[in-house]
Amino acid sequence: MVTLTRSGDRTIEEKEALLGYALIAPALLLITAVILYPVLYNVYLSFTVVPLRPDEAPQWVGLEHYYSLFGSSAFWSALRTTIVFTFFSTTLATLGGLGTALLFNRSFRGRRYLRGMVLLPYVAPLISVAFVWRFMLDPLYGIVPYIGSDLLGLYAGNIDLLSNGDTAIWSVILIDAWRYFPFAFLMLIARVQAIPGDMYEAAKIDGASKFAQFKDITLPELKYILATVFLLRWIWNFNKFADIWLLTRRVDTLPIYAYKVAFANYQHGQAAAISMVLFLALIVFVLAYVAWALDW
Amino acid sequence: MSTKQSTYRHVVDSFKTALGVGENTIETSLAERVVFYVALGLTLLVTLFPFYYMTVASVLPESSLYSLPPTLIPQDITLDHYRTVFGPETFPFVTYFKNSFIIATTTAGASVLVATFGAYSFARLDYRGRGLMSRGVLMVYMFSGILLVVPMFQVIVWLGFVDSLASLFITYLVQTLPVSLYMLGNYFRSIPEEIEEAAIMDGYSRLEVIFKITLPLSAPAIVAVFFFTFMIAWNEYLFASIFLQSQSVFTLPIGIEALSSSFRQVWGQIMAASLLTSIPLIVMFTYLEKFMVEGLTFGAVEG
Repeated sequence: MVTLTRSGDRTIEEKEALLGYALIAPALLLITAVILYPVLYNVYLSFTVVPLRPDEAPQWVGLEHYYSLFGSSAFWSALRTTIVFTFFSTTLATLGGLGTALLFNRSFRGRRYLRGMVLLPYVAPLISVAFVWRFMLDPLYGIVPYIGSDLLGLYAGNIDLLSNGDTAIWSVILIDAWRYFPFAFLMLIARVQAIPGDMYEAAKIDGASKFAQFKDITLPELKYILATVFLLRWIWNFNKFADIWLLTRRVDTLPIYAYKVAFANYQHGQAAAISMVLFLALIVFVLAYVAWALDW
Repeated sequence: MSTKQSTYRHVVDSFKTALGVGENTIETSLAERVVFYVALGLTLLVTLFPFYYMTVASVLPESSLYSLPPTLIPQDITLDHYRTVFGPETFPFVTYFKNSFIIATTTAGASVLVATFGAYSFARLDYRGRGLMSRGVLMVYMFSGILLVVPMFQVIVWLGFVDSLASLFITYLVQTLPVSLYMLGNYFRSIPEEIEEAAIMDGYSRLEVIFKITLPLSAPAIVAVFFFTFMIAWNEYLFASIFLQSQSVFTLPIGIEALSSSFRQVWGQIMAASLLTSIPLIVMFTYLEKFMVEGLTFGAVEG
């Protein structure tokens, strides 16, 4: 074989392995330098007080940041807000995606184009989406307060839905679900369409109702993809920063709390500790979820 | 069933899927159809209304923008807000747009380039530590921006990269790499290995195989990855808000946010700027929709 004689003292396998390392090296180096090193550095920073001047070295304070964190009510309230926000926005986006996927699971004129349009909230830039919602919720001239309060009388009109402590989180949850349900829809629609039609035919002959068909055929067929979509959205919503920050300053989830501590109060060490807790809480959730979802 | 029959059936099925006919076209009653169209209409209304309203608000004169009831169908149309956005007096929108465009294209280009080789390595070449490395890359999915932002800020300050687009280029490149590696790797694995083996038998080297066979076959996936990394860089707010300080390097998210907090009642301009910011993504998406949808099924993109 030509390749064997040309390869000299190296076998084909060795050459392939060398090429493999060479091709992955740039990606790996970048990820190590810009992600893994900062993550480890973050662990270190969380045990220190970081001085404002960059040429001074951080001061080691041990677990002090963690102690003060667990003793502060702001932290516990931020953790609670994070869980409420993540749970409801993830659930709503997943259910919305499921509903839309089932709706689109039949042929109708223009389905392909309408599917593209449904993806728009997910594709459009965050900044545009955040500002149009801020405008629509504007307490003076917004269309949502006009419909909800002036026309329907659902609430007293002088409430600013995005700045009021009680309503801000629910507004943000609904907007987040609106923006991300297309993601769930897209992940689910392919799987919904792959369910063999004759399963439904057979169920119909047996006299199963629409609901029974959904419960006994659709849901079991979709459960793994549903579990995956829920997990991915959970991870991303748990870490969500910009979507909330651009809408309101009144919803303090852990990422926002960390950002404020780091860049408004300049306590970088304390902020590093908050982000560590955020990460550990997420890991615990993911491990528990995966263990549960596997034998689900 | 014979092989020929099953091939035939497969072809018919894929045509049915492509044309959107075939599944669940079981006879439906009038009532069911009414419920279906009402539900479809509501879904589209909720999904699209904000975009419609953004467009309307961007062409409304100030007087109808700030009056009740809100205007849904504009009587007079004005392009004043667009003129303000493009005029340099209020805020340098064109500069922000240019910065965002430069950072998003270079990030997406570099990410696709580095990830193509890396993903090929993961998908096709065999070596010690490969499995560990590819799983490790997926772990990076779990590291949020907020976990990186404090240490990255320290590193960027130390490197002297504060207030430059270079700081964003490095950050975005690395943040998009795991997604790109994952999506391209999955796609490469879906290409039949026999094609590449046949080419190697014919005397092609591995690199020739990559450039002459794998890459041309992967054009749709590469387009999708380019779009998604472009989208991530176009949207990024957290790192930009910390690394950038002067207006001349602001990207769109930071620039528009600054406009909204420094003036009152500039909704017309903000809606015009928001619409213009959406255009590149919507145009790309419209042309590439088929690839996008395929691309998403090969790997979930953070959002």
